[in-house]
Amino acid sequence: MITIKNLRASVEGKEILKGIDLEIKAGEVHAIMGPNGSGKSTLSNVLAGRADYEVTEGEVTFNGKNLLELAPEDRAREGVFLAFQYPVEIPGVSNINFLKTAINETREYKGQAPMEAKDFLALVKEKQHLVELDGKLANRSVNEGFSGGEKKRNEIFQMAMLNPSFSILDETDSGLDIDALKIVASGVNKLRTKDNAFLVITHYQRLLDYIIPDFVHVLYNGKIVKSGGKELALELEEKGYDEIKKQFETV
Amino acid sequence: MANEILEEHINSEYKWGFTTDIESDTFKKGLNEDVIRLLSHKKNEPEWMLEFRLKSYRYWLTMKEPSNWAYFPYPKIDFQEISYYSAPKVKPELASLDEVDPELLKTFEKLGISLEEQKRLTGVSSNIAVDAVFDSISVKTTFRETLAEKGIIFCSFSEAVQEHPDLIKKYMGMVVPYTDNYYAALNGAVFSDGSFCYIPKGVRCPMELSTYFRINSSGTGQFERTLIVADEESYVSYLEGCTAPQRDENQLHAAIVEIIAHKNAEVKYSTVQNWYPGDKNGVGGIFNFVTKRGLCVGDYSKISWTQVETGSAITWKYPSVILKGDNSVGEFYSVALTNNHQQADTGTKMIHLGKNTKSTIISKGISAGVSNNSYRGLVQIKKGAVNARNFSQCDSLLMGDKCGAHTFPYIEIKDKTAVVEHEATTSKIGEDQLFYCNQRGISTEKAIGLIVNGYCREVLNKLPMEFAIEAQKLLAISLEGSVG
Amino acid sequence: MSISLENKISTAQNLTAALSRVGDKNNVFGFDMIGEALQFVEIEGLPTNKHEEFKYCNVDAVFRKEFKEINNSFSEINMPPVVVDAINVYIINGRFESVSGKAEGLVICDLVAAQKTHKEVVEKNLGAHAKPTSSVFVALNTAYCQKGLFVYVEKNAKIDKPVYIHYLTDPISVSVINPRTLIVCGAGSNVQIIDDYYSKGANFFSTHTSEIVVGENAQVKHYKIQNEGDNAFGVITTEVVQSSNSVYDAATFIFSGSLVRNNHHVRLFGQNIEAHLNGLIIGRHNALIDNHTYIDHAMPNCNTNELYKGIAYEKSSLVFNGKIMVRRDAQKTNAYQSSKNILMSDDASIYTKPQLEIYADDVKCSHGTSTGKVDEDALFYLKARGIGDESARKLLLQAFAQELIDKIEIPSLHDKVLELFEESLK
Repeated sequence: MITIKNLRASVEGKEILKGIDLEIKAGEVHAIMGPNGSGKSTLSNVLAGRADYEVTEGEVTFNGKNLLELAPEDRAREGVFLAFQYPVEIPGVSNINFLKTAINETREYKGQAPMEAKDFLALVKEKQHLVELDGKLANRSVNEGFSGGEKKRNEIFQMAMLNPSFSILDETDSGLDIDALKIVASGVNKLRTKDNAFLVITHYQRLLDYIIPDFVHVLYNGKIVKSGGKELALELEEKGYDEIKKQFETV
Repeated sequence: MANEILEEHINSEYKWGFTTDIESDTFKKGLNEDVIRLLSHKKNEPEWMLEFRLKSYRYWLTMKEPSNWAYFPYPKIDFQEISYYSAPKVKPELASLDEVDPELLKTFEKLGISLEEQKRLTGVSSNIAVDAVFDSISVKTTFRETLAEKGIIFCSFSEAVQEHPDLIKKYMGMVVPYTDNYYAALNGAVFSDGSFCYIPKGVRCPMELSTYFRINSSGTGQFERTLIVADEESYVSYLEGCTAPQRDENQLHAAIVEIIAHKNAEVKYSTVQNWYPGDKNGVGGIFNFVTKRGLCVGDYSKISWTQVETGSAITWKYPSVILKGDNSVGEFYSVALTNNHQQADTGTKMIHLGKNTKSTIISKGISAGVSNNSYRGLVQIKKGAVNARNFSQCDSLLMGDKCGAHTFPYIEIKDKTAVVEHEATTSKIGEDQLFYCNQRGISTEKAIGLIVNGYCREVLNKLPMEFAIEAQKLLAISLEGSVG
Repeated sequence: MSISLENKISTAQNLTAALSRVGDKNNVFGFDMIGEALQFVEIEGLPTNKHEEFKYCNVDAVFRKEFKEINNSFSEINMPPVVVDAINVYIINGRFESVSGKAEGLVICDLVAAQKTHKEVVEKNLGAHAKPTSSVFVALNTAYCQKGLFVYVEKNAKIDKPVYIHYLTDPISVSVINPRTLIVCGAGSNVQIIDDYYSKGANFFSTHTSEIVVGENAQVKHYKIQNEGDNAFGVITTEVVQSSNSVYDAATFIFSGSLVRNNHHVRLFGQNIEAHLNGLIIGRHNALIDNHTYIDHAMPNCNTNELYKGIAYEKSSLVFNGKIMVRRDAQKTNAYQSSKNILMSDDASIYTKPQLEIYADDVKCSHGTSTGKVDEDALFYLKARGIGDESARKLLLQAFAQELIDKIEIPSLHDKVLELFEESLK
C-alpha cells in the first residue's frame, strides 16, 4: 500500500529524518516506537504533507502514486488519514458541517456526487457509536472546548466517517486515561479490515496492548534501528529506551 | 409670502415641461431647488412633503461635506454629476427582473439563489413579503393584501405619503432628523422612494418583510428611505438586501432607515449588503453612506440590527439604537468583510437614556487584500440611565499582511450604576487550522470559507435562515482569490 | 505682568518679538526650532473639544484663566519630606534648580550646560522625539522652556539609587511653567526614575515635556506621582523611544489636579522590546484627568502591556484614550490593553476610547475596558461579616488598586503611594 524509501526530511534546516525505509501492506498494522525527539511526529507530518517539513531525499509511493507530489488535501482524498496528536480547535465550525465538507470534497475529487443528507446523517449516527461519542459533540464546533479524551475520540470518529485506506495514529494514546484508551482502541480495531492499513506511532507500549500490531519498529535519531514483531514492544517496555540509545548512540 | 414664492416655483416647473420629457425617466444630472420640485411634482407629493425636501436641501447647503472622516481618502463626490431620479421607463414585469442585468443573474447563479429570488419577487414563496426598489422607485410590493388583513401596512414610501400621510408626518424624521448629518440632509431633499411599514398594536407580523434594493442605471445615486413603526406589543422581522451591477464609476447610496418601537414592541432588522465593491484595482463601486437608527421609545421595547456587509467600495454605516424606554434593549450584530481595495468603517451607537436598558454589540471584521476595516462605535450611558448594561465584543480577522483592521470604541459613562464591558481581539487564520482541514481532504480555499463562517457564526445565527445561507455563500465568494 | 495663554498665542503672532527670546541663555533651543514652534502655535491655535484628541478634555477654560508671567525668583516652596533614599533632583517653577547625590555613570545637569558637555547626545535627541510640531503644548514648551533637565545614564551603568525628580511650584505666584526634560539611558544601562509633581496649593499651568531614550538592552523603570492640588493644570507630554531588547516599565499615579492631561507615547524602534504602561487615577472634586497613551509597534517581536484603573468621585471626569498601532512590519507583536473604572458618584463621568490600529496579520492584540460600580455582592459579604459600609467600600477599592500599587518595587515609595492613595479616598 505504502512504500517509503530512504526518506530524509528537515525542519528549519535541521535534519530530523535520516533515511527511513518502510513498507506497509494492506491489512497490516505497524507500530513505530521511539524516545522523545526521535522523529516520530516528523514522520507523520511529512506523510500528511505539512508545509514546514522539507523532504530532502527519498520517495514515498502510495497505491502506485508519488505521495510527496500531492497537496495535503489530495493525499487525504487519496486515502491518507492522520489522527493528530494535538487536534486543533476551529471555533464556530460544527463537526457535522466540517465532515460533510470533507466527505463531499473527497467525493467530488473522485468524480462522485455529493452524499445525500439523509445518508450522511445515518452514517454519522452509525459511526458515533463506534467511539461512544456523544451526539452533542458532533454538533459542537470542531474540537472547541473538547477535553483531551474527547478530541482523540473525535479523531477516530472522523477516521470512521472518512474511511481512509491508510491511517496514521500520531500518539493517539497521549493524554488518555485507561477507559478512553480502551474506547479509542476498540474503535480502531473495529475499523481494521484486510483492505486498510494503520501506522500507530507511540511512545509507550500501553496502546499496543489494545491495538495489536503486526510489526513494531524502533525509531531513534531519525532512523529505524530495529524492527520486529509485537514482542519487541514488550521488550522495550521492560528495558526502556536507554538500551537502544546506548547501542546506537555512536552509529 | 413664502408660499407664493413656492407656488411660483412649482408652477415654473411646468415650463420645464416634463410632460413631454416623460419618455426619459432619468433626470438630468445636477441638483438645485428646481430638481427637487420636479421630483416632488413627479411623485405627485403633497405640499408638506415638498416643504420637508426644501428645508432639508437648504439645510444641506449650509453643511460641510465630511472629509477625511475615517481613515481613507476617497474621491470627492461631485453632487452635480449625479442624477437624482431614475425610474424604469416601463415598470418591469416581475419575471423579467433577472433579465435586466446578466451580471446580476450571474451573481445569483453563483450564489445559487436565482430561483429563490424569482420566487420571492413573484410571491410564490410563502413566508416573505418583498418591496423591490429599483434605482429610485419601488416597483412592486408583494403580499400586501394578506398583510392588510392583519392591519399591517407594507408599501412603498411614495404610496405611504399618499395614503397614510398622518403616519408619515408623525414619524418621518423622528429618529433621524434632516439636520442629523450631511447625507441625512441630502437624503431628506432628494429621497426617491423606499419602504414603509406599520405594525399595529398587538400584531405579530406573520411573515418576514423584505426590501430589495437595486441600483441599476449608471450616473445615478440612490437615496431611499425606510420607515418602520412597531406599535405597542407588536413584532416584525425585516430584511434588506442590496445589489448593484458592475460599473467603473462610483455611485452614491445615501439611505435613511428609521425604526420606532413602542411599548413592548420588537423589531429585528437584518441586512445583507452586497453593493458592487469595485474591481480588484479599486475602480468603481458604491459609496455606501447610510444613516440607520432605531428609537426604543416605549418601555420594554427592543430593536435588533444584524448586518452582513460584504459589498461597497466605501461603507460608512452605524446602525444605532436610542434606548429611551425603561427596560428597552438594543442589539447590534455585525459581520463586515473587506477585500481588495474596499474600505469599511462601521459600527453602532447605543445611547442609554432609560432605566435598566441593555445593549449588546457583537462585531466581526474580516480584512483581506489591501482593504481597511474599522469598527467604530459609541456606547453612551446618560445620567439617570440607572442600571444600564452594555457588553461589546469586537473581533478582527486579518488575512495577509497588506490589509488593516482597526477598532475605535468610544465609551461615555455618566451614571454610576452602569456596567459596561468592551473586549476586542485580533487574530488570523491559523496555519494549523488550515492544515487540519487539508488533512481531511478540504481545499485551502474551502477551508478559509469554513473557518471564516465559523468565526462569524454568532452573528450569522441571528439572521433568518434563508438570509443566513445567502450570507454564508457571500462570505465565501467575497474571499475568493484572497489567498495565494 | 499678567498673561493668559491666549495672550501668549498673540505674542506668538509677533514672531520677531518672540524670537528675541532666543537670546535667552536659559532656553536650550536654537533660533530655528523656536521659530518653527511659534509658527506652529500660530497656525494651529489652541485646541477645542472639536479636536478629536481633545474631545473630552475641555482646555478652553484654562486658556481664559489669567496666569502670571513666570517668576524667576520664588518666594516660598513647600519642600516635600524626603522618604525615599534617592538621588534628589529639584525642578522649581519649571527650571532645574539643584541635584543632591551622585552615582557612577550618571550625569545630571541643566540642558544648557549639557549642550556643551554632551553636545552629540543632546543634539541627536532633544526635540527629535517630542517634535515642536507634534502638538501646540510641546511647541509652547519648546519656545518657552528654561533650564531644562538633562539626565544621562552612561552605557552599561547600573544606578542603584533611584533618580527622584521633584517638580515644585511656588504657591504664591500663579504661572505658566514649562519644564523640559531629556533622559538618555545608554545601551545596557539600568535606572529607576521617579517624577514627583508636588505643589500643593500652587496655581499654575504646566506644559511639561519629556523625552526618554531607552538604549539597546537598557532597563528603565519610570514612576510618576501627580498630586498637585485643585489648582494645577497641565498638558504633560512624555515621549519614549526604545531600542532593541530594552525594557521600559512605567507606572503613573494621579491623586489630584484640576486638569491633568498626560500624553504618554512609546515608540518601539527595535525588536524584542518590552514596554509596560500602567496607571492608577483617583478623580476628586471637579478634576478632569485625561490619559492618552500611544504605543507604536514599528518592528516585529515586541510585547507591550497596558493597565489603567480609575476611580471617579464627585464631579470628576476620567478619560482614558489608548491607542495601539501595529505597523506592517511588526509581525509577532503581542499587545494588550486594559482599562477598568469605578464610578463613585452620580455626577462623575468616565470616557474611554481604547483603539487598535493594525496592519500586520500575525499578531496578538486585544483590549478590554470595563466600567462599573463597587461589586455589590462583595460589599454585602463584607457587611455580613460586620464591616461597616464605608470601610467595606474602602477595602474593595484598595483591592481594586492594589495590583497597580504593588508594581512599585521600591518599598519606601510603595508605602508613600499607598498612603497617598488611602488619603485620596477620604
